[in-house]
Amino acid sequence: MRANIDSLVTRIPGSADFIKLDLAKCNMCGRCLIVCTMGLWKKKGNKVHIVDDYKSRCVECGACYQVCEADAIDFHYPSGGKGVVYERG
Amino acid sequence: MKNYDVVVVGAGPGGSIAAMEAASRGLKTVFFERGRRPGEKNSSGCGLGPRMWTDFHFMKELTPDVCPSMRAGAASRSYFVNKQGVVAGYVMARPTESVSYEPAKSFITMNVYRSDFDPWLAGLATNAGAELKTSTLATGLLKENNRVIGVIDENGEKYRGLVIGADGVVSMVARQSGLRKRWGQDHVTLVPQYDFAVDPQKIDDIMGDETLAVWWSALFPAAYQVFFHDGFHLGLGNWMTWWDKNPLHYLDQVVKLEYFQRLVRILDARPREYHAHMLPWLGSPTSTHTDNVILVGDAGGFPCPLEAEGIYPAMVTGRAAAEVAADAISSSDTSKEFLDLYDQKWQQTSIGEEFKTGPELARIWRALPFSPKETMSWFVPMIMEILGGILDWSQPHAVRVRQVMRHVKSYLPQAIPFVMRDVLPLLEKILGDKMELLTNPEKLIASVPELQEAIASAFEEKEGRT
Repeated sequence: MRANIDSLVTRIPGSADFIKLDLAKCNMCGRCLIVCTMGLWKKKGNKVHIVDDYKSRCVECGACYQVCEADAIDFHYPSGGKGVVYERG
Repeated sequence: MKNYDVVVVGAGPGGSIAAMEAASRGLKTVFFERGRRPGEKNSSGCGLGPRMWTDFHFMKELTPDVCPSMRAGAASRSYFVNKQGVVAGYVMARPTESVSYEPAKSFITMNVYRSDFDPWLAGLATNAGAELKTSTLATGLLKENNRVIGVIDENGEKYRGLVIGADGVVSMVARQSGLRKRWGQDHVTLVPQYDFAVDPQKIDDIMGDETLAVWWSALFPAAYQVFFHDGFHLGLGNWMTWWDKNPLHYLDQVVKLEYFQRLVRILDARPREYHAHMLPWLGSPTSTHTDNVILVGDAGGFPCPLEAEGIYPAMVTGRAAAEVAADAISSSDTSKEFLDLYDQKWQQTSIGEEFKTGPELARIWRALPFSPKETMSWFVPMIMEILGGILDWSQPHAVRVRQVMRHVKSYLPQAIPFVMRDVLPLLEKILGDKMELLTNPEKLIASVPELQEAIASAFEEKEGRT
C-alpha cells in the first residue's frame, strides 16, 4: 500500500507555499523524517529539506510542525479551496 | 472591516453548531471553511454515538438522502492478534442489558463520512442565518492593543467579532491568541488511515450489523476498522514520540495480516483513499479561552480522553461557546474573566463529566492500545489463554485447567503492576469511598443485602436437599 500511496490521494493544485523550514533553527533531530507518512522530508549530508513538489503530495496533517521542538518548521494550511480533498474522510 | 457579533473559524461539527446556535440567538455570525465545502478536509472522526440523538433534536432528520454514507450497527468486535500475526481469537459484543435508553439499545455508533455529514450540519447553520464563507482560509487574528478583536482572511478581508476557534488540531486561533503554540508531544496522536470501497450488500451479508472492530496486537498500535454504507476505514494512531519508523509501516502490518487479507478478498474491498490526521488526546483540556476568544472541539482539546470520540464533544462545546458568546455580547464584556463561564458551562455537560476521570482514562488507554510492545505482548496471549485454553482435546480437562493456570500465572509479573498502576487509580476515581468494598469481602457482603439473601438461600437449599 505504501508504494502507491500517492495514487490514493486527490489534490487541487495552485496553493501558495505553506511549509517553511528555518535551517538556522533546525537541530537535525530527524523527527519530521519519521512522522511524515508521505516521506516528504529528506536529509542530505547534514541538512534537512522538504521535497520540491511537497505542495502536490502533502496531506496537511501538520505532524512535521507538531514534532519540531526546535520550532524550525512553520506550517499553515494551503490556500482556500486548494490542496487535499477527502471524498471519504 | 466587516462587523459581526461572532466570527467562527472552521465549519466542522464544532464550528457549524457554534454558528447555528449563535445565529439562532440573533447574533450576526460568519463561519469559515478552507475547503470548497465543509467536510472535504476532514478525515475520520466518523462515529456518532446514540447520545447525539438525545442531545441534538435535529439528528432525527439525518437520513441517507442527505448523508448516503451513514451506517449504524449494534455489534463491535475485538480481534486479538498474536506475535506471529495470527488472529488468535476475537470477541464480539452488543449493547448490554444495563443500557438504559433508546437508541443506545439499537446501535453503538452511526458511522458517517465527514464529506456527507459536515455539509449537512453547516446547512443547519446557514438556515439559521449564519453566513458561510467556503474556499476561504482564515490566516490570522486581528489585534488592537494586544487584544484579539477579529479575524483576517487570506485575501486581506477583515472581520470584527468574538472569535470562536473551531479550526481543529493545528489551530491558527489557538496559536495566534497565545493559548497554545503546539501540543505537548504526549497530548496529540498521529493517525494514518486507509479507506476501502466495498459493495453495500457485501458489507451487510458478511459483516451483519458489525459497526466497528479493534485489532489488538503487540505488532502495531491497536487498529480500528469502521464500516460505512459502501466502504470501511482502517487506521491506527499513537503519540508523536512513540513512532520509531514511518507510521504507515505499522498500518501496513495490519493490512498484511493473513486474516485481514482474507476479509479483503471476501468483501472484494478495494483501497480507495489514504488519509492522515492528528488528534488531540488529553486527560483534561486547559487554556480553552482568552480575551474575546473561545476554542471548541479538537482546537480546544475536547476529544474523549478514553477513545477520542470527537464529533459529539465538538458539538457540545460549540453549543456552550455560542451560549457564552451570547451572554458576553449582551453584557458588553468579552474579557477572559467573563468567558470563564465557558469552562463552567462545558464542565456541567456530559463532556465535563467524562473529563472528571479524564487523566485516569487517558492513562489506561495509553497503557493498552498505545503500548503494543509493553502491554499487548502479554495481554493478548493471556486473554487468549483464558478464552481458548479450555476448549482443547489434547489432555484431560483437569490437566488443561492446570496448564492454563500455570501459563496465566507466568503473565502475572507483568499484569499485576499494570493493574496497580493503571487500573486501580481509575477504579478509585470512579468508585470513590466504595472502592473499599472491592478489597474487603465482609464489608461488601454487609453492604449488599441481595448478596446476603443469596448466600442464605443457597445454604437453605443445600440443607433442604440433604
